[in-house]
Parts: sequence; C-alpha cells; structure tokens
Amino acid sequence: MVTSLFAKLGLPGYEVNGKQPKHFGVIGDFDTPEDLLRAIRTARAAGYTKMEAYSPFPVHGVDEALGEPRSPLGKIVMVCGLTGLALAVALQWWTGAVDYKLVIAGKPLFAVEPSVPIMFELSVLLAAFAAVLGMFHLNRLPTYYHSFFNYSRSAGASNDRFLLAVEAADPRFNADQVKNFLDSCGSRHTELVEA
Amino acid sequence: MAHKEHQANDNYFLSPATWTTVRNSLAFVALASWIALAAGYALDRQQFTFSYLVAFAYFVSLALGAMFYVMIQHLTGSAWSVTVRRLMENIMRTIPVSALLVIPVIFGTHQLYEWTHAGAANDPVLSKKLGYLNNEWFIIRAAITIGLWSLFSWRLYSVSRSQDANGSIEGTRTAERWSAPGVVMLFVTASLASFDWVMSLDPHWWSTMFGVYFLTGGALSFMAALIAICLALRSAGYLKNSIRDEHYHDLGKWLFCLTVFWAYIAFSQYMLIWYGNLPEETTWFHRRLAGSWSSMRPLLVFGHFFVPFFVLMPRASKRNLKLLGFFAGWMILMHYCDLYWQIMPILHTKGIAVNWMDPVAWIAVGSVYGLVFWSGLKEKPLIPVGDPRLEQCLAFHNV
Repeated sequence: MVTSLFAKLGLPGYEVNGKQPKHFGVIGDFDTPEDLLRAIRTARAAGYTKMEAYSPFPVHGVDEALGEPRSPLGKIVMVCGLTGLALAVALQWWTGAVDYKLVIAGKPLFAVEPSVPIMFELSVLLAAFAAVLGMFHLNRLPTYYHSFFNYSRSAGASNDRFLLAVEAADPRFNADQVKNFLDSCGSRHTELVEA
Repeated sequence: MAHKEHQANDNYFLSPATWTTVRNSLAFVALASWIALAAGYALDRQQFTFSYLVAFAYFVSLALGAMFYVMIQHLTGSAWSVTVRRLMENIMRTIPVSALLVIPVIFGTHQLYEWTHAGAANDPVLSKKLGYLNNEWFIIRAAITIGLWSLFSWRLYSVSRSQDANGSIEGTRTAERWSAPGVVMLFVTASLASFDWVMSLDPHWWSTMFGVYFLTGGALSFMAALIAICLALRSAGYLKNSIRDEHYHDLGKWLFCLTVFWAYIAFSQYMLIWYGNLPEETTWFHRRLAGSWSSMRPLLVFGHFFVPFFVLMPRASKRNLKLLGFFAGWMILMHYCDLYWQIMPILHTKGIAVNWMDPVAWIAVGSVYGLVFWSGLKEKPLIPVGDPRLEQCLAFHNV
C-alpha cells in the first residue's frame, strides 16, 4: 500500500515504468582505493559510462575517474544567498522607510550601515538552507529503496570494501561481459544485481 | 592516500648563483633606499617618521601574519600546507629584526604621538592615560612584545629545521606544544603593539577590536606575499611539483577568506561607531574622511573587499595562477592603503598628500625584512623535507 503510494507520487526508487530493467547492474568488490581507481579507469577506457563507486570514505580522484561533472551546488547556493541579500534590503527598507516610518535616535529611516548585519545574516541563512536542501536534492535524498542493497556484500561499502557498479543502463551493458571484465580488474566478488 | 604518480621531482635548493643575484639586488636596493631615507630624515623629520611608521607597521603585521599561520598549521595538523610551510617560516623568521627597525619609531614618538606633547598633561582625558602612554613604557612594551615574538619564531623555526635532518615526529609535537600558547600570546601582544604604534596616534580614541584589525590586515598581506613568493619561485622553475594548483587553490581560499574577515572586522568597528554616534568615537573616522581622504573609502570598500571577494569566489579563479598572482599583488597594495589611511591623516589633516618618502620607506624597511627572509633560503631546503606529513601533502587533492 505504502509502496504503491510512493509509486504514484513518483518518489525516487519507486518509479513505475513499463520498461523497468530487471537488473540494476553488475557490482564488483575491490580491496583498496587504488584497486577501485584502477578498475574505474580501465572500465572508462573500455567504454563504460554509467558507473557508480561505493566506498566507506571519500576517495580522492574518484569523481575525475568516473568523469563526474562539477556539482552545480555552488551556483544554487550563490543564487539563494543573493536572494537572501535582496530580501533583507527589501524587508528593512519597506518596514522602516515605507510602511511604518519612525525616527529613532535621529537615524535615517533606512541606511546601509545598520542593515548590513541583517543583510549578512539572511544571505548566510538562505545560502545554508540552499546548501543543505540542494545537497539532499542533488543526492536524491531521501531515497527509500535502492537496488544497490540487493548486492549480497553491500555492507562492505560502509566498512572496508570498495565497490564498483556498472549499471544496466549503460549502453554497452552485457551482464556476462561486464562480470568477466570486473573479475579481470581484480574484483573479489562480482555479482549481477537485481533492480 | 599517496598516489605514487604525485611524487615530486623538484629541486629543493636554490642554485647558489640565483641566491647571490637576488641577495645582491636586495642589498643594493636596501642601501640606496636607506641613503635616500637618511636624506629624507634630514629634510623633513615629521614626514620621515610618518612614512616610516606606515612601512614598519606594514612589515611587522605581515611577519606576525606569518607567525599566526605557522602556528595554525601546527595546531590543526595541516597536511595540505607542508610544502609552503617553510616559506611561511622564513617570513616568520624575519620578526627579530623588528627590534632594530622599531628604533626610528621610538625616536620619533614626539613627531608621531600627541601623548608625548606637553599639552597632554592638561588634557582631562590624556592626563589619565599618561601612566600607560609614556616613552618609558612604550619602549618596555616594545621590548617585551618583540622579545616574545622573537622567542616563539626562533623556537618554531629551529624545531622545523632540526626536523629536516632527523624527520622525527617529536619535532611536530614540540611545534604543537609551542603553538597553542603561542596563538594566545600573539593576539595579546599584537593588540598591545597595535594600540601603541597605530591606535595611540589618536590617543583620545579607543577600539578593543583594533588589535584584530591590525593582525587581520597583516595576515592578508602575508598570504598575498606568500602566494607571490611561491609564484615567483615557480616562474624561476622551483617547486613546480611540490606546490601544485591544488595547493594554490587552498592558498587562494585563504586569500579570499581573509578579505572577508578583514571586511568583517573593519565594518564591525565602523558600524558600532556609526550607531553609537558619540563624538569621542566618531572623531577617528571624521579625521580619516576629511578632504580628499574620503576618496580612500570607496577604494578600501571595493578594492580591499568587494572586488577581490567576488573575483576570488569561484573555484576557477583560485586555480588560475595569473589571476591569483594579480590579486596577491593587489592585496599587498591594498594593505598598504589601509595602513596609510589609518596613519597618515594625523600628519596631513586636510587631505591625501603623497610624499616620495612613502614608497622609499616601504622599500627600505621591506628590503631589510626581505634580506632576512632571503638568508633563510641559502643552502637550506625550500620545503620541510623531514616533515612526517610531506608525503600526504604531495598527494594532496581538493575534494
């Protein structure tokens, strides 16, 4: 019931699609970050494009090896920060100099100097919201179901294993070929994973 | 994660010929500028003393910025900065020469500070401050602060140097033990020094934030100078693989961050005074916005903050070494403008009056600090070759 509700809402992981593939992809299990990086580079050279790496900690160089584009988060944060700045100016100018004019201690109804702290705070506030929520959105969080966990050794990615998935969506995907390929890269346990 | 492909193949020693050439040019510049400055002293002692104070405050704050950064690297256990830390330490190592260079300031107190004048005893405010602001205590405080700075800088430098030979983790621990009290010492003494040397130019006025303002400006010009030195060494073919774009990216982040922190401190001081609107506080800005001095305000607001802030914000500009180098030079100039604006309006009350002694004093003081800095590069490695985190630094990668 809940599953079908999620599916109706089109939440990530629950998309109903007639052409839904039966398999998520093939996942290999590597001993070290260096092995993982080498496998990614070899796979890229072999022409695979739809890949994802899973590791217990950020491995330097994985993003470049996977050919990931730069995250657009910085631009999102910038836009929201500037929105906060504009909001702060509008708020203080409108309340102080338009809606309810009240001279306090001979100060101007609106001036930049005392407005700066609010401008700063609202910029930071909206930028911080954008950073956190934008990160969630870009990471597709919350995701209630992910095929990755159908892999029998998925827990290793939270401990001491370095996993590489070649996904079924890859145009060059062929389960047997990919399995052999990851084995040849040094995978300790290669498995075809259900979607 | 030490990826072996990041192994640096750099020459960590300057060639003796290059070293001597630079040393000789620095010595020549120092000689010429000090002779010119001596002539200036004879011509116009008042102008000489003020020009000299700007230059002295500039390089002291820069060297203190270096000491602050060396301590912060030790306290945070930074790995990214190991290859640039020896250059930081060499700038920090120039601090003891301040004991010599402070002498013209000490002999110039009568030209510089109102509290040395006879009228101060009858001034209702100043008369109460004379127990603190007097020549004897001015000298004693200078001796104590410069003495403490020299002790800490000598200790941190010699620990790092001894690690070159033995590569022991013990050296890192010793440096950490000195750095924790060192940072506290630095902020207290730098505040006292900036109160004495710069803030007491307006002896009626006070700002508890002034020490941080002084140190922040110094840290900013230090970071700019460090980037400039790294880029100069790079263009001469040194440290190309040890200080890569990843390291410049982080140095650029610091340059960016310090422009923000400077603006934060400078504006906080201004805003509180603006809001309070008390005559004894606003007088400081009143003097500094008189006549053509008011044109320094947009220069500092935009040149010292907005322009570098927005230009250095994107990742790409911090990794663009030409742009980074330009802004390093620009911030070196801006810190001078900032100090000039703090100090000179006391002498030229009606407006900006640039004198030939201003740049000459800057070059003269700077060339002495420069010679001490340069002496640390002779036949000694340009990076801390024995640091346990060196390997990690060479493989460093921004996420």
